Amino acid sequence: MKRNKLEIIRDILKIIQDHHNSIKVTPLIRKSNLSSTRFYEYLKEMQDKKLIQETINEKGKEIKITEKGQKYIREFHTIISFIEEFDL
Amino acid sequence: MPPITGRTIFGGPPLHEFIAPGFGTEIIYSLVIIVCSLMIYFGTNELYELSSHKGIKYFRQAFLFFALAYFFRSFIKFIIIYFNVGTILDISPRTFGFVFGQMTLIVFMYFSSMAIFYLLYSVMWKKWNGNSKKIYLFHLLAFIIALSSILFRNPFVYLGMNLLLLFFVIFTFYVSYKQSKQKRTKHNLHVIYTLLFSFWTLNVIDILIPEFFQMFQLFIYIASLIIFLIMLYKVLKKAGSN
Repeated sequence: MKRNKLEIIRDILKIIQDHHNSIKVTPLIRKSNLSSTRFYEYLKEMQDKKLIQETINEKGKEIKITEKGQKYIREFHTIISFIEEFDL
Repeated sequence: MPPITGRTIFGGPPLHEFIAPGFGTEIIYSLVIIVCSLMIYFGTNELYELSSHKGIKYFRQAFLFFALAYFFRSFIKFIIIYFNVGTILDISPRTFGFVFGQMTLIVFMYFSSMAIFYLLYSVMWKKWNGNSKKIYLFHLLAFIIALSSILFRNPFVYLGMNLLLLFFVIFTFYVSYKQSKQKRTKHNLHVIYTLLFSFWTLNVIDILIPEFFQMFQLFIYIASLIIFLIMLYKVLKKAGSN
C-alpha cells in the first residue's frame, strides 16, 4: 500500500529512533524504501521543519532526531485521526 | 466616587443600554462564536506546526476568519459605541454610523465568505490537485461578494447571491461526500458542515435583510451556536491533549 507523506516522515523518524537516535545517511536511505532523489527531498524538508538535524562527529555525518521530531512520533496518530475526522 | 469605566473616560452611553434585548444578545452570540473559533484555531496549532499539513492549515484559517468576521459583525460595534469613538474623531453620529456600518459590513462579508471558502478548501484541496492558486480566486470572489453587499441595495440581489453561493458550496461538498463515501462508510461530518454552511447563509441574510428573519433570529443564533459548539467539541476531542 502506498504511504502518504506524513507516514513516510514518521517511518524515517522511527528508523532513526530505532538506531539509538543516530544513523548514517546510506543505511537510512536503504531502510526508508525510497529512491535516492525522493529521500533527499524528504531529508531537506525534515531538516527545514527541524524534525531532524545533521551532526558531524569522528564517525562522519549522522542524522539525529530533534525534540520536535520526537514529538512528531508521539503525536502521529493524533494528527492522522484529526485529518481523517475532518476529511482534510 | 464612581468606578472608572470606558464611559467615564470617553463619555459613552451606560452599559445597560447594551444589555437591551437584541444588541446584548448579538454581542453574547458573537463573543461565544469568537471564543469557539479561536479555541479551534489555537487548539490545532501544534498539529499544524508538527505536520505542516495543508488541510489542517486551511481548516484553522477558516476558524480564524470566522473569529475575525464575528468580531467585525458586532463586537467592534460594542467597543466603538461604548468608548464613543465617533466623538473622539469629531464626526457627526449620523455620518459616523453610516461609514462605520458600511465598513464593518464589507469586512464582515469578506471574512465570513473567506471562512466558508477556507472550510470548503480544507476538504477539497487534494481533489483540486493541491493547486493553491485557487485560494486567490476565492479571495477575489469574497471581495466581490463583500463589495456587492454595499453596492446593491436590493434584498432580492442579496438573497439570490447568498443562495447561489450556498448551492455552490453544498454541491461541491456533496461531490466530496460521494467520493469519501466510497472510501469510508462512517462519516457524519458532512452533515455538520452542511448545517454550518446553511446557518452561515441565514446569518448573512439576517444581517443584510434584518426584517427577513426577525421572528426567527433567536433560533438562528441558538442553532449557529450549537453547530460551533459541536465543532469545538469534535476538535477538542481529537486534538484536546495539544
